[in-house]
Amino acid sequence: MVLHRVEDTILVGLLLTMIGMAVTQIFLRNLFEAGIVWSDVLVRILVLWVGLVGAMVASRQGNHITIDILDRYLPAHAKKVADFVVELFTALICTVVAYYSLVFVQMEFTDGGMAFAQVPNWLCEAIIPFAFTVIALRYFILSFISFKKIVESRS
Amino acid sequence: MTLFIFALILFLLAILGAPLFAVILAVAILGFHHLDVNLSVIAIEIYRIADTPVLLALPLFTFAGYVLGESQTSRRLVRFTQAFLGWMPGGLAIVAFVACAFFTAFTGASGVTIVALGALLYPALTQAGYREKFSIGLVTSSGSLGLLLPPSIPLILYGIIAQQMNIGANVAINDLFLAGLLPGLLMVVLLSFWSMWENRRNPIPYKPFSVREAIAALREVIWEIPLPLFVLGGIYGGFFAISEAAAATAMYVIVVEVFIYKEIKLSQLPAIIRESMVMVGGILLILGVSLASTNFLIDAEVPARMFDLIQSHVTDKIVFLILLNLLLLILGAILDIFSALVIMVPIILPVAVSYGVDPVHLGIIFLANMQIGYFTPPVGMNLFIASYRFNKPVTELYQAAFPFMIVLFAAVLVITYWPALSLVFLHR
Repeated sequence: MVLHRVEDTILVGLLLTMIGMAVTQIFLRNLFEAGIVWSDVLVRILVLWVGLVGAMVASRQGNHITIDILDRYLPAHAKKVADFVVELFTALICTVVAYYSLVFVQMEFTDGGMAFAQVPNWLCEAIIPFAFTVIALRYFILSFISFKKIVESRS
Repeated sequence: MTLFIFALILFLLAILGAPLFAVILAVAILGFHHLDVNLSVIAIEIYRIADTPVLLALPLFTFAGYVLGESQTSRRLVRFTQAFLGWMPGGLAIVAFVACAFFTAFTGASGVTIVALGALLYPALTQAGYREKFSIGLVTSSGSLGLLLPPSIPLILYGIIAQQMNIGANVAINDLFLAGLLPGLLMVVLLSFWSMWENRRNPIPYKPFSVREAIAALREVIWEIPLPLFVLGGIYGGFFAISEAAAATAMYVIVVEVFIYKEIKLSQLPAIIRESMVMVGGILLILGVSLASTNFLIDAEVPARMFDLIQSHVTDKIVFLILLNLLLLILGAILDIFSALVIMVPIILPVAVSYGVDPVHLGIIFLANMQIGYFTPPVGMNLFIASYRFNKPVTELYQAAFPFMIVLFAAVLVITYWPALSLVFLHR
């Protein structure tokens, strides 16, 4: 899928930028006792971005960290229902978080603070509502697929 | 009453396999809603990930570990340790412990130790004359050995969570790295002694030390030898901050594996980055949302109430530590290490500190217990990975790993009741 490839490319780009910036900073500091002033801030924001984009990618197949103690002992049909319920639950929770983090980003937008160089705070924070929207959508799709499986196994 | 029902529903969802981050978020949403706090605060808390400089170490060390896991490092490491330690009594078993400990420290006990090293060590052990059951037990239980050694990801994560708690005492990751050294070594030593004892009636032919083989093995691994030096020497020599050591390690690993050993093609790199960052994403997400829920826990004074409750029954520090060990062993058996860290550390840490336990020491106790959890049923991840990799039923693996578990449990007891073992290098 094109979307997946775009997402993967962004993820790779973010990590390589992160390594590049961090290593450059070490050289500048140790060799020239200098440094790019905003580099540290940028790298820290990249960590957040890498984490959230990574989490988006993990949501494609629902590969998040779970405590599935009961899950593996359920009979096949009950498992399908359980999958549907937890996926729908996850999608709804992410929707709530996406909405309220969007409100937060809007507040920051009107505030107009700068994170570093000429980059405003709200832009750095925008990944939060974006990531949660994508994760929510993916879990809605997953729950829809699980729902279809339940219906199919009934008929 | 409604609170109780909500808690029950969330608990059910969690054990049915709801992603942990969603469950924690639900707790935070309900909690903040209850306290009449605008829910936008959740986004503010998640954004704190970008305010924690040392977190940079997490993606970079994880990535470096994945690269090492994909290349032939495991083979070189086994050859190297075998050349230098293989001549000792109980040689190959010791080789296995040492190699696994080093490898796991870098790859973060993600299961890759069993897949990469176990696949080499298991046939080597059985061929050398070790019993089948012993060999498979060794490989399964060694998959988490090295969790206490720098730069293990769970160690870093514990430090980060503890730093967010404002418990008064400082929990530097440098200190955690130093604190893990002797306890990690203790585990390797105890396991080695036990292997010798276990095989006392099972004479394994000695393999004499060969200078030629040692030099050949050293030359082969020469580019990877500097890695531990980078991390420890760089940090404690004062050249690097932790995050810088991670950046240097990541860069170095790319150069060595891609351009010098040429075992990883440049075109493979994106896939490795994606895999490792999915892992990082999962960890950072639960860390970020737990920052939100922890804040709520502290607002609601949960740790303080917990302490009062426990204090009214348990006044003695030793009794508290015994109960703590039991709790952590059970938790380790049902939770994976990252879940256990983000859920339990915010609750346990303030209570333990109130009992006078050093927060750094607590981290070592916590992870030492979790290490055993890696191969205890029902969810011990290494059991399933080994079962899959070596095509054996999980129950057989559990029996095989049981003696190793007892030895590690003895190590945990020593670590718990002898704080100096962890704190000796810290000048406290």
